[in-house]
Amino acid sequence: MGVQILGVSADNTFSQQTFADSLNLPYPLLSDFVERKVIRAYGILNERTMTATRTFFLIDPQSVIRKKWVLANPTTDVVYSATLLKDIQEIVAKK
Amino acid sequence: MSNRASHRIAGLLIVFVMILGPLEASRADVAELLVRLKLSGYRTGTTPPEFRGTTVDSRTISLASLRGKVVLLNFWASWCSECRSEMPMFEQLHREFAAQGLSVIGINAREGTEVIRGYAKELRLTFSLVLDPRGEINAAYGVIGLPATFLIGRDGRPVARAVGPRDWTSPPAKAIIQALLSDTVSPGESQ
Repeated sequence: MGVQILGVSADNTFSQQTFADSLNLPYPLLSDFVERKVIRAYGILNERTMTATRTFFLIDPQSVIRKKWVLANPTTDVVYSATLLKDIQEIVAKK
Repeated sequence: MSNRASHRIAGLLIVFVMILGPLEASRADVAELLVRLKLSGYRTGTTPPEFRGTTVDSRTISLASLRGKVVLLNFWASWCSECRSEMPMFEQLHREFAAQGLSVIGINAREGTEVIRGYAKELRLTFSLVLDPRGEINAAYGVIGLPATFLIGRDGRPVARAVGPRDWTSPPAKAIIQALLSDTVSPGESQ
């Protein structure tokens, strides 16, 4: 479908490598440690914990954010892949 | 080029081969052993997170204090059945290689002193068991599943990681540890 998944977190790369191994992640993780520039730029930095609020951004080929899902309660809230897939298919269809 | 000059260059080349030959062989050997044991390597320039913790017998251990030793860092919990099967292997490595400079450290995940003490007594563990009551060391190392084990060279560089259990007393595992104990070589890029 021409979709690239990227994971961004405030963790160091060492930690991310272990995490990726544990889940056999088939997509890259990007470390925003120490400065949290990307996380801050996307407006989802939790200043108290200095971590990212769990959020999904859907960005189209013109680098426009088409949709975002902010998980208010990351331990219970879920964005189902079917939801993501539906919005991705809409963007692909309009291309 | 004079004969004298060419002899000097030949001499330099021979010295070069003598110095680099065994070193390069050792790096290649370790990299191959990592693959055999299904361990993931680290890129050059990666550093393991520093930590400081208290052992079950009230000693303080930090990663910095272990510099100069080969460190085998295992993350475990008493409820983890795969951890339990690895523990006698770590104990064996500790007994066999501690005198040569291997430091086996078990980092527990969020359990109390009494639980850890009982577990160590039951399995007759004598290597260092570090408490991590708030899971901070686990988080710093990105550990979300147990067991997870990290090998760190004498120079403080991370050599390999294993998510999930391995046969730590198998010939390739012992060969990796012996290679790391024999010098300060880390395999560098060995993914």
